[in-house]
Amino acid sequence: MHPIVSIGTSHHIAPIEFREKLAFSEAQLTEAVQHLRETYQVQEAVILSTCNRVEVYAVANSMRSNDAAAKMLVEFLSRYHRISPESLKKWTYLHHNLASIRHLFRVAASLDAMVVGESQILGQVKAAYDASREAGGARTILNRLFTKAFSVGKRIRSETTIATGAVSISYAAVELAKKIFNTLEGKTVAIVGAGEMSELTAKHLVSNGVSNVIVANRTYERAVKVAEKFNGTPLAYDSNLDFLIDADIVISSTNAPDYLIKRQPLADIMRKRRHRYMFLIDIAVPRDIEPDVNKIDHAFLYNIDDLEAVVASNLKGRQQEATRAEQIVTEEAKRFYDQLQIFQVNPTIKALHQQFREIADTELQACCDKASLTDQQAAAVTSMTQAIIKKLLHDPMKNLRYAVNDGNADHAQYVQALQELFALDVKDEEPKS
Amino acid sequence: MINFLFLLTLLIYLAASIFQTLSLALGNRTEAMAIRLTIESLAFWGTLVGFAFLTLFIPLWWLQQGHFPMTHWTDSIAFFAWAVTLIYLIIVRLTHLRTLGSFVMPVAFIAILISYSFATHTAALPEPLRNYWLLAHTTLIFLAYAAFIAAFGFGLMYLMTERKIRKKTDTLLDNLLPSLGISDELGYRCTILGVILLTMGVIVGSLWTQYIQDVPWRWLDVKVISTLMTWLIYVVQIGLRQFWGWHGRKAAYAAIIGFVAVLCTYAGVEIFLDSMHTYR
Repeated sequence: MHPIVSIGTSHHIAPIEFREKLAFSEAQLTEAVQHLRETYQVQEAVILSTCNRVEVYAVANSMRSNDAAAKMLVEFLSRYHRISPESLKKWTYLHHNLASIRHLFRVAASLDAMVVGESQILGQVKAAYDASREAGGARTILNRLFTKAFSVGKRIRSETTIATGAVSISYAAVELAKKIFNTLEGKTVAIVGAGEMSELTAKHLVSNGVSNVIVANRTYERAVKVAEKFNGTPLAYDSNLDFLIDADIVISSTNAPDYLIKRQPLADIMRKRRHRYMFLIDIAVPRDIEPDVNKIDHAFLYNIDDLEAVVASNLKGRQQEATRAEQIVTEEAKRFYDQLQIFQVNPTIKALHQQFREIADTELQACCDKASLTDQQAAAVTSMTQAIIKKLLHDPMKNLRYAVNDGNADHAQYVQALQELFALDVKDEEPKS
Repeated sequence: MINFLFLLTLLIYLAASIFQTLSLALGNRTEAMAIRLTIESLAFWGTLVGFAFLTLFIPLWWLQQGHFPMTHWTDSIAFFAWAVTLIYLIIVRLTHLRTLGSFVMPVAFIAILISYSFATHTAALPEPLRNYWLLAHTTLIFLAYAAFIAAFGFGLMYLMTERKIRKKTDTLLDNLLPSLGISDELGYRCTILGVILLTMGVIVGSLWTQYIQDVPWRWLDVKVISTLMTWLIYVVQIGLRQFWGWHGRKAAYAAIIGFVAVLCTYAGVEIFLDSMHTYR
């Protein structure tokens, strides 16, 4: 059997200083995969390198033990990046076979991510796989493994809510806006004051369809500077808030010590905008918007605590779902591992059958020629031979498959014994697409 | 046989209503993820099958009675349920928004339940009334009612969503309710559709009585007056929205008031008052 080994590091166990040393740039990736295959005689390899993790998945030659294969990967990393084996031992994890498979499935399903359920990772794993495949790293086994990992990732996304619900304040604001307006297309957002958070929120709103941005600041220059980023309209305000008449979404984050937007003036503004919905987001501390604004018809006010509560409840939901997702991953990994072993045994079984049949065919031909049998007799002898082959191979094959399905470690030895005793010429199967 | 089939239809509607309501209650909640999709499809397929069964009864009763089945009020209320489901399914087809079913399917179920409970006899339709004018008149008006019921459903959805946003509840984002803007807009469209259908129905009815039947127009008929009141409620609502920006919450309340008016016009007049429109 070919051992599957993986070595890696992630934000869970290693600091950035170590991860950056271990990282592979895109340019290095192809070369590293080829180097790994040529110098270390690894049959297949995929390297995944993102800002949060660096992982190498490899399939070793069937003659090697798990430990030897692992040692080889450690050696590769330590030489390639000039890192001492000791620090590698400290900051990396090593997995074999089923554990490797399970780990990859967890990564692809975004269960191992910093923010569980974030969607970027699946794309990153795909890109890593594509790059390694092009470099000749991914073949029969890793092709199957990664294809399966993508489908497990997708399955978890569709069957659990692990990837739903905003987990940042700015996305929570976007989701809330979507619960108010029928569409964000053509809507106007007004940023009052400045700040990273309000700009980020505005950016998300714009990418979700909001088309106009008004940037209001006490100093016009500041407003211009921020407005440039959004192709928006800058304006300087004093006490006149009439620009809010056009604003469907208001994000306020000024340093004002008192309420900037109060109930009565806003009620007047709402009347002037014919009571179209207004979503007000107050992320300033101390607050900019009088809480009573939330009592005005069609005006909805959320402050920083409200948004954080939304985020917290979404995060809690994701955590709960993660447990269910872990179960799916464990099941799928086990099933894949079993299939992979049967898949690896199949070529041997096929070759054995082939050999028996060839011998029988040659002997039958000789026998028929010598004894000048009638068609009827020849047919009888042929079917008898086939029955003998079938019966001879029945028990060994049954027991071999049992050994595989039971997870009995002996089956690797069985396969090797068969190959050697019968001098079989076994070729690895290409995966069925 | 027909009775048994009708009972079956009733039970399917009951199941569909329960599943519809359940799927709204579960929302997108994470704990219910596994069963949610099953419940949602059960609700929708229940609605489709129930509707197919109910559709079957129109030709069945027609054959049984020898004329279109809208003479006895128990038939008419089943027809009302049919119209409500039809409008709902059209809305689903156009908007892919199934949530409305949680509000309209129970209404349809109650209508069928009433029809089933009281369907004891079927009166023969007097000869002069057996014509397609009456069929068009009643069909249009029932479809109008159904559109108003849908508007009512959207009104309730609007108020529920608004409450969640206002109170910042936990289930704020974990629900299947559409945004305020969508509930409001679709409710408005249903109202317009209802007004158009009701206007057409009334015109057909009055043309028929005046020119074909040669019966003098009875303004003081209770049904006529209450129908006009209902019509007026909806027309005023549309006007206020167009000219004074009355949308959102006010429109949602108006849809509920309209719903009550429809109930009074349809059921109230039927039960408590005498009119030339009364089913016998």
